Amino acid sequence: MSRIIVMTSGKGGVGKTTCTANLGMALAKAGQRVAVVDADFGLRNLDLLLGLENRIVYTALDVLAGECRLDQALVKDKRQPNLALLPAAQNRSKESIKPEQMKRLIKALTKVYNFILIDSPAGIEMGFRNSIAAAREAIIVTTPEISAVRDADRVIGLLEANDIKAVRLVINRLRPAMVAAEQMMSVKDVQGILSIPLLGVIPDDEQVIVSTNKGEPLVLDEKLSKAGIAFTNVSQRLQGEKVPLMDLSIPQDNFFTRLKRLFGVSS
Amino acid sequence: MAPDFSFMQDSQSDSSGTPADGGVNFDNFILEIEPDPETTQEEAAQTKPESNPNLQVQFKSERGRLLLLLPPAPEKSRNPVYWEDLRDQLKRRLSGGERFLQPHTPVHLIARDRLLNSQQIQEIDAMLSDAQLPLKRIYSSRRQSAVAAATAGYSVEQQTTLGHLGQGQEASRQAMDEPLYLQTTLRSGVEVRHRGTVIVLGDANPGSSIVAEGDIFIWGRLRGVVHAGADGNRQCRIMALHMQPTQLRIADQVARSPEDPPAQYQPEVAYIGPDGIRIALAAEFALADLPANLPTQESP
Repeated sequence: MSRIIVMTSGKGGVGKTTCTANLGMALAKAGQRVAVVDADFGLRNLDLLLGLENRIVYTALDVLAGECRLDQALVKDKRQPNLALLPAAQNRSKESIKPEQMKRLIKALTKVYNFILIDSPAGIEMGFRNSIAAAREAIIVTTPEISAVRDADRVIGLLEANDIKAVRLVINRLRPAMVAAEQMMSVKDVQGILSIPLLGVIPDDEQVIVSTNKGEPLVLDEKLSKAGIAFTNVSQRLQGEKVPLMDLSIPQDNFFTRLKRLFGVSS
Repeated sequence: MAPDFSFMQDSQSDSSGTPADGGVNFDNFILEIEPDPETTQEEAAQTKPESNPNLQVQFKSERGRLLLLLPPAPEKSRNPVYWEDLRDQLKRRLSGGERFLQPHTPVHLIARDRLLNSQQIQEIDAMLSDAQLPLKRIYSSRRQSAVAAATAGYSVEQQTTLGHLGQGQEASRQAMDEPLYLQTTLRSGVEVRHRGTVIVLGDANPGSSIVAEGDIFIWGRLRGVVHAGADGNRQCRIMALHMQPTQLRIADQVARSPEDPPAQYQPEVAYIGPDGIRIALAAEFALADLPANLPTQESP
């Protein structure tokens, strides 16, 4: 049985697409067959993060219009052939596709792929409804900010109303130092509001920007950055492995800062 | 000298995947979606002829007047243009070609089978008025649009048949349209489709696309996706001052930019060579073209 997971957040800019790209790549590295679906019609980005923009020939809309077969629209990743991208159209609005059509696309993908990650657009309008139409699980991506958490809470409610019960949380761009100084919501604070199982915590990392601009997901790096390790851990937990939950947060940071102090590195 | 454009055709058949399970060969599978249960075969056959690229707002000059042709009704098209898109397209065509739109040229609006309400007609009129173009007459094959136009005070002609006033292209589609000239920057998400040659005085940014049945000239930086000879004409060419496309397509061929961009850009021409899409410097391309023609003249 394939797992169909929608990555959503409500608020924009919290890292849905980054999470989708890295998680998809990490799962593919672990030997899973992964299809990542860009459901952000009109403002597609997933192809850029995966560095596949110039390989797109057909989009999901061409498949629906009968211009090509589904396998022709799938862009296989050259670094990781287990990963394929179903691109969205860039020149259309989110209203150009219906939830029922999304279901047909995803249903066909389940015949070949065992993980299907759907990158939802921000907001809770048509694009969001399309992206959740076929999903059986959801990963809520949020940052430890009051506005992002508020939107995430609303989205969790909407998912429950749409019978998506397996909803799990990824907290993105956490800055342990700020949490320690009580300037940022902690993992506990966020979980206290959202009260859904935590899948992982991704630390804020400048490497993310570098990897986005290069079109190479962090998890492909030879030497994994902290965020890269965190994404890999999330992917392992998603596959049912028991990986201890991030000692990355406050204690580990203290350890690091202590280490840094020990070696006289200013951060 | 010219950048090497590698072929794309192998991109769909990368191998070394995991062994297949469930009877699916992961390296080479065919995947199709189930047909839309709402669309019957009959409808599918009906919508097929509309899938040509000629689906955007279009101006045509004809005997001292300007014909404004609207794309066909969205419900019958496989590449539908909804009202919001239509409005954007019209705005872009008006601002992109304003130097050639002679003020006070009477405009005849050919609405075909599109449903237009009076508000939409007034909005079109307002956009035309901004370009100093008077809307003289509206042609429509839909009663409701005709009534709406008449109520709004326009002179209307309700056509029951096509094949009149620039609509002949539906029947005979061998001749290309006159070149489309656009003085504008094509930004991400903008798609220009034209049954002829497209000339852009400006940049085509990443995320934009141009689909032309003829040649494509970019007097600026080409960084989006362009498709020349979209109807299958392999003689078509793409020319740009600064050739840095996301993807080039000519007829049925596809190519993408090399991974390492050249240090500096010069005007270049893309064409179909013996082994796919090739790129040549514009200056050298002109020379290379000559010998091919010369021998036929020299040989007695």
